[in-house]
Amino acid sequence: MSELKCTKKQMMAVVMARQIKDGDVVIVGTGLPLVAASLAKNSTAPNIALLFESGIFDGGPVEVPTSVSDLRICYRASALTPQYRYFGFQANAWKKNDINLGFLGGAQIDPYGNLNSTSIGDYWHPKTRFTGSGGANGIATNCSTVIMMNHQKRRFCDSVDYVTSPGWIDGPDGRAKKGLRNDRGPIAVVTEMCVIRFDENTKRAYLAEYFPGTTPEEVQAETGFEMDLSRAVESENPTDEIMDILLNKVDPQRLMV
Amino acid sequence: MSNEKNKVMTLHDAIAKYVHDGDHIVLGGFVTHRRPVAAAYEIIRQGIKDLVYESAGGAMDGDLLIGAGCVKILLESYMANSGYTQVCRRMRHAIEAGELMFEDYSLDVQPIQYHAAALGSPYIPIKNMLGSDLEDKWGIPAEEWKKNPKLPNAKFLTEDNPFNPGVGDKLLLLPAAPLDCAIIHAQYAAPDGTCRIEGLTAIDADIAMGATNCIVMCEQIVHPDFLREAPWANTLPGLVADAVVEVPYGCHPLQCANFYDYDGMFMRMYDEISKDEEKFKEFLDEYVYGVKDHMEYLDKLGASRLLTLRTKAGWGYVPGLKRK
Repeated sequence: MSELKCTKKQMMAVVMARQIKDGDVVIVGTGLPLVAASLAKNSTAPNIALLFESGIFDGGPVEVPTSVSDLRICYRASALTPQYRYFGFQANAWKKNDINLGFLGGAQIDPYGNLNSTSIGDYWHPKTRFTGSGGANGIATNCSTVIMMNHQKRRFCDSVDYVTSPGWIDGPDGRAKKGLRNDRGPIAVVTEMCVIRFDENTKRAYLAEYFPGTTPEEVQAETGFEMDLSRAVESENPTDEIMDILLNKVDPQRLMV
Repeated sequence: MSNEKNKVMTLHDAIAKYVHDGDHIVLGGFVTHRRPVAAAYEIIRQGIKDLVYESAGGAMDGDLLIGAGCVKILLESYMANSGYTQVCRRMRHAIEAGELMFEDYSLDVQPIQYHAAALGSPYIPIKNMLGSDLEDKWGIPAEEWKKNPKLPNAKFLTEDNPFNPGVGDKLLLLPAAPLDCAIIHAQYAAPDGTCRIEGLTAIDADIAMGATNCIVMCEQIVHPDFLREAPWANTLPGLVADAVVEVPYGCHPLQCANFYDYDGMFMRMYDEISKDEEKFKEFLDEYVYGVKDHMEYLDKLGASRLLTLRTKAGWGYVPGLKRK
């Protein structure tokens, strides 16, 4: 087993950045997704456009923003529009497919990538209440997504307490049955241990990569549903150059990583 | 000669006149940006109760109203002082304790409801929320939707797309929000209500036009010529506003583009005190009930604190602002 050359959280940011291709239009939230997007923009994907549910198009943050409406994201933006324009741009991506990726996060996920960010326990009398959807549901409706999760057994379950953001529902025709397009949906889940992807035919989660310092068996032990491990390969450690950009340019104050 | 009524009043009088017990209200801005927090303080000060409250991307103004017992029904998609409090704590407590009736939406769907209201349309068809529990589990029971005159008679209806029938093209018909009063905060307004919002415009024009009444708060009441010599840059005609109120730093501790950045350390303090019911009450006693109006609140914060928050030209925020 090889060793991880950075912290697990830094590795998450690096691996999330790897999901972004140069030229992509990406919907990002604050926190780790924004760090990952900034890392990609400052290294392998300089021509990406960042899109925010607050109506900020192609913002160019320098200092780490704390909210998707932060003045720090308005900085050097292409346009600030009323929020309904964001809705429309996203809804038209349904037809034009001109948003490549959206990032989501949640508290619970099932084997088909259905995601809960609303509450734990009974919805009406929850044990723990979170903020709710934010823009996540709309992103999951219209775009391909990369999901960020803390890797704990209780968070990876056969059935989530509340579906905030639809994934593949229950299989290859799950989305179509619900009136949604089935040619987009979750493409990867990135955790502090691994990358999970969804089988092309069954749309069920399988282990695609495990981080240096862990094993497929350890990942499965921390996952509340059964995963196919046969396709798993070890992720590459970040290069020194990428770590330098992450720690010295993207988040020098270490607000996020 | 244009129609220029003088609608200027105090924040106290505007809230007393246009926000009543049981009303359905909506506040403008987006999460930590240009939300009329001073209006929430004033609603609490006046002890207004049983509100139906909503916004599209809420923050501590909603949390304050819930914690102070002003809200009966919450219609929301998100409520956080993002980056400082990830889930607003009085809101979370009220839901977990069963003290609040609530309904969940997606954050991009609420602006569409306001847009429908602004267009005068009864509903708008969308795809969002299909296939999720936002469709399948209603926070507010169907009977309440039917009988409560402050709500539409259902959260939504679904329908096969009549222009593309028989192929599974399902649509969710989202009713326009029935809003009694919208409260927005602009950078500039004239006494007749003509106003200009700079930076993020969020939902403000739609809620202002969709609601029965509209209170326009602003950083500065300006000479009408300042706005009328560039009407293309204005957000709303004066005909929309019912009240115009000058409330400098009216979004504190949140941001207002070209005027001030957020007060990160105040939000850290609020994060701490909102964890605890007693400390939250002490906060209200000190910052809301303990001051007679917004100017006294600003006096309490002090000039030097407010001056450090002023946005810097070229950046549009305060570079290197103390946030931690």
